[in-house]
Order: sequence, then C-alpha cells, then structure tokens
Amino acid sequence: MPVYRSVVCPFCGCLCDDLEITVEDNRIVKVRNGCAISTSKFLHHHENRVENPLIDGKPVALEEAVKEAAEILKSARRPLIYGLSSTECGAIAKAIELAELIGGVVDNTASVCHGPTILALQTLGESKCTLGTVRNRADLIIYWGCNPLEAHIRHLTRYSAMARGLYTSGGRKDRYVVAVDVRETRMKRVADLFLKVNPGGDYELLSALRAVVRGYGLDVDEVSGVPRDVILELAERMKKSRFGAIFFGLGLTQSEGRHMNIEAAIGLVADLNHHTKFVLIPMRGHYNVAGANTVTTWQTGYPYAVDFSRGYPRYNPGEYTAVDLLARGEADAALIIASDPAAHLPYKAARRLAEIPTIVLDPKRSMTSMISRVVIPTAAAGIEAEGTAYRMDGIPIRLKKLMEPPEGVLPDAEVLSLIIEEVMR
Amino acid sequence: MMELRLKPKVSGLSIPLEAEVISPDVIAGKTLREVEELRVYHGNRAERLGEYFEVEGEVAAEPGEQLIVVEGDVSWVKYIGAGMTAGKVVVKGDAGMHLGSKMSGGEIIVEGSVGDWAGAEMTGGLIRIGGDAGDLLGAAYRGSPEGMRGGCIFVEGSAGYETGTGMRRGLIVIGGDAAPFTGAHMNGGVIFILGRAAKRLGAQMKGNGSLIICLGEVEELLPTFVYDTTYTPTFMRIYLKTLSEKLGIKRAEEYIGRPFRRYRGDRAVGGDGEILVVERG
Ligand code: SF4
Repeated sequence: MPVYRSVVCPFCGCLCDDLEITVEDNRIVKVRNGCAISTSKFLHHHENRVENPLIDGKPVALEEAVKEAAEILKSARRPLIYGLSSTECGAIAKAIELAELIGGVVDNTASVCHGPTILALQTLGESKCTLGTVRNRADLIIYWGCNPLEAHIRHLTRYSAMARGLYTSGGRKDRYVVAVDVRETRMKRVADLFLKVNPGGDYELLSALRAVVRGYGLDVDEVSGVPRDVILELAERMKKSRFGAIFFGLGLTQSEGRHMNIEAAIGLVADLNHHTKFVLIPMRGHYNVAGANTVTTWQTGYPYAVDFSRGYPRYNPGEYTAVDLLARGEADAALIIASDPAAHLPYKAARRLAEIPTIVLDPKRSMTSMISRVVIPTAAAGIEAEGTAYRMDGIPIRLKKLMEPPEGVLPDAEVLSLIIEEVMR
Repeated sequence: MMELRLKPKVSGLSIPLEAEVISPDVIAGKTLREVEELRVYHGNRAERLGEYFEVEGEVAAEPGEQLIVVEGDVSWVKYIGAGMTAGKVVVKGDAGMHLGSKMSGGEIIVEGSVGDWAGAEMTGGLIRIGGDAGDLLGAAYRGSPEGMRGGCIFVEGSAGYETGTGMRRGLIVIGGDAAPFTGAHMNGGVIFILGRAAKRLGAQMKGNGSLIICLGEVEELLPTFVYDTTYTPTFMRIYLKTLSEKLGIKRAEEYIGRPFRRYRGDRAVGGDGEILVVERG
C-alpha cells in the first residue's frame, strides 16, 4: 500500500505541499493533512470520469478524436482556446503553441477571476512577497473581499492569521486581523476588526484610506458605510504595523470598479511602503491559474486574452477575453482545457459554446463535456501526471504523480502535442 | 476633396473585419484596383478589401485631399481611420472598435455609434460621433501610461466606462451621459459632460491642469475630491462659445455666466486636478 508524503494538493491556489496520500489498487483511500475540500476531491477522484474519447457522444478511438479536433481547429477563422487554470504548465505551453499555429485566441480563466488584478498590476506594479514571508513576519493581515474559511481553508493556519512563524511565534495573538466584506461572513469571528462595506463601495473606501495615509483629513462622516473614525484608526494601524499584508479575492476584483478597485488597493500598499513594509497578494482560486498567467506571459509577453489571428500576439482584455468573444458570437470553434465554462460563464457566452464545434480535454465529465462535439479524457495533473504549478504568490511547485491514469488516457500536454502534429500534417 | 465611396457588400459579420486600410493615408495615391486589393483581416484569414466593399469614386494624390465615405452600417469593422494623419472619413452608420485610434490629424465623422477604444491614444485631429461611444473612448491602451494626447472628440450621445483614461492633453465633449470612471488617471486635458456624470469621476486624477466640467447632474463625487469654492471662471465663457461655434453645440451657450462649484483631487493620489460642477438653479 504505497503512502506518498509531501504531496502537493492540486485543488486551490494554496498548493499545500504537506499531504500524505495512501493509494490502494490504483485508488486513493486515505488523505492526511488535506482540508475538507481536498480530502473529498482526492477520495472521489475516480468518480465521474470520461471513459472514452467521444465525438457527438459516441465512443471513438483517440486518433479519431484527435483528427476531428484538428480538423475543427484548422477550418475555424476565430478559434478560441480557453481554460488552463487546472492543468500543469507543460500543457499550458502546448496550448499556446497550438493557438499560434491556428491563428487563434488563447485565454485562461483569470479573465473571469483575477484578470482585473493583472490589469491593475500592469498599470501600477506590485509589492509582493511569498506566503512564507507573511507567515514569518506579518503582524497585520487584512482579508478584503475574500473568505479563506470557505475557499482556501488551510490558508489561515498554514500561511496567514493563525500560522506561527519565525517572528510571529505567538501565532494568532501576534497579529492584528482585519476582514472587509459586503456581508458578515465567518471571517468576522476570526478578525479583530470586521468592516462591513456597502456593496459596490470598496473603491471609495480604499481611496479614502489612501488619502488618509497620505496625510489628508476626511471631510465626510462615513465612506461606504464605514465611519470616519474607523477609517482614521485603521490607516494609523496600517502605518504603525511592522509588516502588513492584504489578501484580496473576487469580492474586490468582480465587484463594481473591478480593476480600478485593485489599482486603489495597490496604490494604498505602495503609499504604505513609505511608512512600513506592506504587501498585496491575490487569493487565486484554481490551483494553477497563476501558472496559466505566468506561462502565457513568458511565451507571448501577455498574461491572458492573447490573440494570434494576425500571426503575432496581441493583448486586449474585453476584446480578446473568452467571455466577450463568445458573448459577441465571434468565436467559431473552441478548445476547452481543464475547465467547465458551460457551467460557469454567463448564459450568452455558454450558449455560444453549445452552438459552435467545441472540443474539451478533461479527466471528468462536466457541463462542457455534455455540449461538446469532441471530448478527450486526460490524466489529472497532480494525481495521474507530473508537472509544475504556480502557487498564488507566484512560487512554482512540482506536482507529483501518485497513480496510473486509466488505460489509454494521456496527460493534457501529450494530447495537445498529438493535436498539434495533426494540425501541421 | 476627392470622394471615394465604400459600399458594404455584407452586413453584420459575427467575426469582425480589421480594416486599418480604410484611411486616407493608405488610400491616397492608389488606383481603384489597388484599393480593392488592400489587405483586410477576417479572423485569421487575410483577404481583399474588395471582397467586403464595392469601391467607387475618386482617389486623391495626397491624404489631405482624400475623403472616404463608408456608406452603411459597419459596426463589424475595426480600426477605421486608425493612425490617420490627414483627410476625412465619413461613416454613414455605426462603426466598430478602435475607430481613429492613434490618429494624429484629419477628421472622422460617424453618424451612428462606435465601439470601444474610439480615439484611443490619439494625438491630433477631430472625431465626431453622432450616436453613443463605447467604453474607453480616448483612453490609454492597457499597459500604456498615457491616453489621448491631443485633438478633439465630440460624442453627441453617451460615453462608456473609463472615457479619457490617462488623458494627457486634448478635449473630449460628451453630449449625453458619462459612465463611471470618466477621466480616471487624467493628467492633463479637458472633458466636458453635458448629460449626467456617473460616480468615480476623475478617479486617481493627477493634475497638470486636468479639468472635468459637468454641465449636467453629477451622481456622486469620490470622498477624495474636496470642495474649495464656487465661482464664475472667465475662461469658461471662451470654452462654451468655442463649443457652440466650432462644434455646433448651441446649448453650451446657456451656461455662459453661470457659477460653478470647484472640487480638487484626487487626494488618493495626491492629485491636483479640478472638477467643475455647474450650480443648479
Ligand atoms: S487549502 Fe487548498 S491546497 Fe490546501 S489542502 Fe485545501 S484545497 Fe488543497
């Protein structure tokens, strides 16, 4: 009964690397150290698998499915390659190679989560550090528009609020914790200070904090539902901290203001660095969405929403992002890799996916596989295949292979290589 | 001016056409046959302009003498007049994204509405839009520090999000309503809003004489803009007269002599720009 130690968990952007997994008869039977999400995902890994390559719902040989996929992509004028946040970096690199070859658009799921973050980082730059540094040094931690208790369960204990580090040996009691959200979440119980901000009012609150940190007064009694005194006090506390960190999530990136909210947050952190050390780290959701951005950047110069239709990469979120391309009815074929846009994208975009010939590479059945013309099962990275993934703070971590994939099932990167060969033929 | 007419042969393509060749700079000096052969891009295929448009009329020797009339709705065509330096383009309908982006001279008149990024990073010339403008009118492209650097844009209808983002110089006049974040990161230049101005006006505006003038209602100003005075600026008279005489916006004259409330900001970035809001009443 092989027991694998120091296993990296491929289920969220924390990429916890201390799991112990027991495999029996090529099935995962025990998970130690994983959070509830991770344990459940590992234990149910064998369920709901795509068993065979399919064309129009009928089982076919892999070669046939690859051929059909290549045919679809070659004849398309505006093919879209999308997903990529739940696979390893090798597959992402192959997907970009394919996009260039077919003159398509390649986008990853960052465009519907932290795309605005990236836009803002490109405009203003970034003050960041690793999660280890936060664990060892941060005495002030702010969670803004995110709820790690639900989405990144071990974040608090491994990296942030509760973690004990080199200069924070007291753990939770060595830190002051603030949570900001539009509704009271369970973070209220974790935090020393919980700020309930009016929905859509984050930008104003961040701007006000910035002005106060810069030494201006505030002429108003409250900003977005937060009283002036509280804002003044928080600004003071931020300036006086030894090392501060802001973690933020979709509550900030996907609410009114989007990338401008993040610009305001980056600006605040930049201003605070005149007083102390302060950093900003996005809470990335899918385990390798940060890798999707990193690989796309090193290959094309841009992090997402890259268009190769003119033979060279061009970048413009809003124009070349998958949601927009689909909702406007532009994309005339799609290749989806390790993602389920039919379930997650807005209705108009999802409907377009069902209208055009769609190809999906995924270990599991999904809404997208149900509406796809071609379905190719693949080996799950981090369980049945090796590879590299990037943690939310940008640290690359090697994923392990724990067991063999079902017979005849290849990793994403290999299937993509087959499609590339077929397109070039 | 010599008039060249482009009649669309198709309507409403779902995959837009990229046709930066629809510009006096490219067309002047060519024969009609050569114009038909100009390259346009439909998705990942390079094709002939003549496949999408009937080309007729006359070609001028110099761009400054060239008038191009696009007869019909071309909301599916991107980059019309992009980068042009002289001459005139008239679109008798809607136009797609990036119209007149990076242009430095000449004039574009669109009778209908335009897509996003119209006049983005333009440095000179005039764009007139009869309908509405999309998002990021006269804005900076992603990753670029400066938006519009000169010239004038007049939209009769409303303008979308982040109009004039990163604007450095030049004039944008919005006849209708302005969506949130109009004039964000502005560092120079002037924006007039005749309709309703949505919130987050001038967000992170730096200064350098940046000025947003609201002749209509203002939804809400950021808490980081601070009121300092109410006055009747003398320069306003000249501005309003110019709008009326040069751009034909007669109703601008109604505001001559009216007092304005002045707000300064954006303090979030230590900025010293100004938002002037006309006194109601
Ligand atoms: S917090 Fe995330 S990475 Fe860590 S065990 Fe849970 S799901 Fe896996």
